[in-house]
Amino acid sequence: MKRCTTDELQAIVGRMPTTRDEDWKYTDLTRARDISSRWLTMGDGTPSSVLDEEIQRITESVEASWLVVANGEIRNLATVSGVTVDKLDEAPAGHHALAELNAALLKEGLRIVVEGTIDKPIGILVIDGTEDTSVSQAYIEVALANHSTASVIEYHASLGDADQYANTVVSLVVGDGATANHVRVQNRARNHVQTGRTDISVGKDANFRSAGFDLGGGLIRNDIVINISNAGADVSFDGLYLAGEGQHIDNHTRVDHRVGPAISKQEYRGILNGKCRCIWNGKAIVHEGADGTDADQANHNLLLSDKAEIDAKPELEIYTDDVKCSHGTTVGQLDETSLFYLRSRGLDREHATQILTHAFAAGIVARAPVEAAKEEITRLMEARLARMIQTDDNFSS
Amino acid sequence: MATESENLESLVNRRYEHGFVTEIETETLPPGLNEGVVRAISARKNEPEWLLEWRLQAYRQWLEMEEPEWAHLHYPKIEYDEISYFSAPKSDDDRPKSLDEVDPKLLETYDKLGIPLHERARLAGVAVDAVFDSVSVATTFKEKLSDAGVIFCSFSEAVIEHPELVRKYLGTVVPRRDNYFAALNSAVFSDGSFVYIPKGVRCPMELSTYFRINAANTGQFERTLIIAEEGSHVSYLEGCTAPMRDENQLHAAIVELIALDDAEIKYSTVQNWYPGDENGVGGIYNFVTKRGDCRGANSKISWTQVETGSAITWKYPSCLLRGANSVGEFYSVAVTNNMQQADTGTKMIHIGPNTRSTIVSKGISAGKAQQSYRGLVRVMPQAHGARNHTQCDSLLIGKDCGAHTFPYMEIKNPSAKIEHEATTSKISANQLFYCRQRGISEEDAVNMIVNGFCKEVFKELPMEFAVEAQALLNVSLEGAVG
Amino acid sequence: MLEINNLKSRIGDTEILRGLSLSVNPGEVHAIMGPNGSGKSTLAQVVAGHQDYEVTGGSVTYKGQDLLELEPEERAREGIFLGFQYPVEIPGVNNAYLLKAALNAKRKHAGLDEIDAFEFLKTAREKMATLDMDPKFLNRGVNEGFSGGEKKRNEILQMAMLEPELAILDETDSGLDIDALKAVANGVNSLRNPDRAIVLVTHYQRLLDYIEPDFVHVLSEGQIIKSGDKSLALELEEKGYDWVREAASA
Repeated sequence: MKRCTTDELQAIVGRMPTTRDEDWKYTDLTRARDISSRWLTMGDGTPSSVLDEEIQRITESVEASWLVVANGEIRNLATVSGVTVDKLDEAPAGHHALAELNAALLKEGLRIVVEGTIDKPIGILVIDGTEDTSVSQAYIEVALANHSTASVIEYHASLGDADQYANTVVSLVVGDGATANHVRVQNRARNHVQTGRTDISVGKDANFRSAGFDLGGGLIRNDIVINISNAGADVSFDGLYLAGEGQHIDNHTRVDHRVGPAISKQEYRGILNGKCRCIWNGKAIVHEGADGTDADQANHNLLLSDKAEIDAKPELEIYTDDVKCSHGTTVGQLDETSLFYLRSRGLDREHATQILTHAFAAGIVARAPVEAAKEEITRLMEARLARMIQTDDNFSS
Repeated sequence: MATESENLESLVNRRYEHGFVTEIETETLPPGLNEGVVRAISARKNEPEWLLEWRLQAYRQWLEMEEPEWAHLHYPKIEYDEISYFSAPKSDDDRPKSLDEVDPKLLETYDKLGIPLHERARLAGVAVDAVFDSVSVATTFKEKLSDAGVIFCSFSEAVIEHPELVRKYLGTVVPRRDNYFAALNSAVFSDGSFVYIPKGVRCPMELSTYFRINAANTGQFERTLIIAEEGSHVSYLEGCTAPMRDENQLHAAIVELIALDDAEIKYSTVQNWYPGDENGVGGIYNFVTKRGDCRGANSKISWTQVETGSAITWKYPSCLLRGANSVGEFYSVAVTNNMQQADTGTKMIHIGPNTRSTIVSKGISAGKAQQSYRGLVRVMPQAHGARNHTQCDSLLIGKDCGAHTFPYMEIKNPSAKIEHEATTSKISANQLFYCRQRGISEEDAVNMIVNGFCKEVFKELPMEFAVEAQALLNVSLEGAVG
Repeated sequence: MLEINNLKSRIGDTEILRGLSLSVNPGEVHAIMGPNGSGKSTLAQVVAGHQDYEVTGGSVTYKGQDLLELEPEERAREGIFLGFQYPVEIPGVNNAYLLKAALNAKRKHAGLDEIDAFEFLKTAREKMATLDMDPKFLNRGVNEGFSGGEKKRNEILQMAMLEPELAILDETDSGLDIDALKAVANGVNSLRNPDRAIVLVTHYQRLLDYIEPDFVHVLSEGQIIKSGDKSLALELEEKGYDWVREAASA
């Protein structure tokens, strides 16, 4: 469903951020622009023949009440008690080009409202699979009523060799005293492009726990924007990115502390091997009057190849004095002593490397707040690490 | 509390009203910048043709550039056409004849900072021939330096006396078009220091602008070039803790350091220019480009700065670590109070193998001041074995100030080990109470805690500088608590 | 020396001291005991002048002057020392520096000259030896990275150097192993003299095995509900706080 003319759409594509924008300094969206422009002249192609199969595989692998958005269309609306699910005809008008694009091209959006305590996680599978070049949009709103509790799994996947660009906008509202546990798994195909923005607003004395896993994708950009405008909010979110040959994964996070006291903690870890580039940019802004803010950022990176590049930028902007803020960033390699120890016990270098990188990554998996998703995440992570380490021999130099 | 610093501010402010354009002397060029002005500056300095050409090219490049806006700084637009780009040194007739003619409140501040008597005269702008001690002291120093083969003179003098050295190195670390302010400086630089340490020489004393006789009139576009030949060593001290009398609002200096194989340059700065009054009126705009080039293997460049003055500070002393095993260091204390704004930090560019860098930045923000640390650690693909450790701490005093950190890490080599840590906190009420329970006044307790916070940096300063810097910090933060 | 009369104090909206009275004379050692939350630490903080504790009623007189009128540092210079339950870490400020600054602030207040650096070091080393402290502690940041026991010894060292007239030791025994406890007790005992009063705030009787008090007071809900000699502490240990509370309300 196109809400404006092709010319207008081309204009929106033309407004997409470029590397001249400070926030996009390290991520070039030329590929997304090219795919979009091409697709605008062609329109939707044929859905992939194995799409249904893949949907079934994923939804069966994780125990959750699944909602599926396939090629931008909502497939099934599970009925879950305590949860109201609605289709939206349109998304709110966006304030930046990617949201504009989302609103202009959205086929169907999803609104999920949770009341009370929901035990079984709500799964949202955003999957794209076409035989031809495709551009897809997903718009998802999740609202947790005051004092409610729910777990949400966002799962992004894609199929096919054709060029694909997926653009997702998620809005998550955590009501007063509510607890939201959130896991995001991104396992798109290695030649696909995804941009995703998640806005989270956290209520008074509310808890938000999240972990994001970027295990696939070609060019990936995630923006997480957390707004704390109520006292007592407790926010923690983690991230893991595994990048191998040809991948580009960019995680931008921003936490606005507008009122205190409140806590925000984040830890991102990355493992890079082969010619790839990862970006982590964490920004915490403590606004005037947000007294009693405790904000902490950590980012740790393992570089295993001489063609890998990491750009890390932990930013703090602080406009009041009653704060405790810190960040720590490291970039390094596997500890040689540990490698040697394992090898002296008879493991070959590759195996030892896998064990140590696995341990590095597993720390984030262990903290993932949705238990039901851990098995699938561990499986994907292990498979990815095994491939990353086998297919590139640079680390052994 | 009617603090000394307020008194000082009003004093400096009063001086400032006299302005730099009101005193039209025959030697002062009219406001505005064009090729004619650049030619006139060069002509007055009897510069060789190549240098004039160099300046003109810089000017043409500057015309095509735009003033940077990325810094976390807010200030009214600078009207470059309203600035006079050359004024000859004031004649002694215009200066106070003795300390008796200097505002007693300024002298009180000097007293507080423990500035020796003979220095006070120089700082307050008393006519040179009335400054008894420093001339003879400087002469003694000059002899000692020339015995060692060290060249230490004004930049203008070096252009005439050592043109081959100036021509060989000028602009090789900070190219003319490096940035907007660098281009401006390259076109119109007034004067500055030139230092050359020959091969294998350990400079017999710490070099300080203070001992360069005509240092008082380097003007607003200062240019410094320091070359340390193979195996040499030099420690250079710039600025001083006492508030300098200065009538130019815009300062755009360039410092270029070149360290060849096994050479070491230690560059220490204390900057305490007029910060403007508590409402943010007046004050120096300080846009500085400082860069060191560790060109040789095993070379080392170390920047230490204590920045307490200026209304606007835009300054990133950096190191290009080209030589194998070269080392770059940056130790900084920046204090902003009242309406001051500072955007300062460093860049460490790792190019050669096994290069190491250390960054320790301590920012203290009080009043309504805004301060940012902006740093870049870049490890190039060929910089195997690079190491960086960054510690970046901010201390906040009061509700209305801000402290920000914008560190960039761009790592393109897998053997790099990079560690970055940053903290932001306020002086805790518990720390203050603990000290007061031990009988220490609140003000002393704050000073003690702040000095403790900055200790890692102060220990990098030459001894006597460190003592002065501590006193300076206390004076700068007067009235910030309570 | 110290006269506390019907003292009431709160922190935020919480009433903690509810009419506490206590009289301490030179040469005496008092032990204030009571369960958690009874107001022991509040009493110590109020006497030292912590700003978070608002005095809502009653009076505190120290050496004939209204103590509540004085700033914390003035109280310290007048001879009041508080051994903190949780000594604060002050990174970068070394112990010797703080000690010297505190000592000189007090000397200046008393109209004395600043202490000679050599004299200071000599005294500090002597006192450290009696407390079984490594002289290296002088050059470390104030309490920075100290273990719990080291922090408490450091408090006693400061007390020994500052020679207060009234020392209030807030839970100085908590978190100490037996050796540290003995060292701390030795330090305190060596300071006992007819001109100096010591107030021990403690939860357990254990400390009193090593520092024998002249008086023991039981604090409950912001009031002293029972006072006695050292046998009261032993009785408490045996019968628990509920016993006193019941006895008091009966």
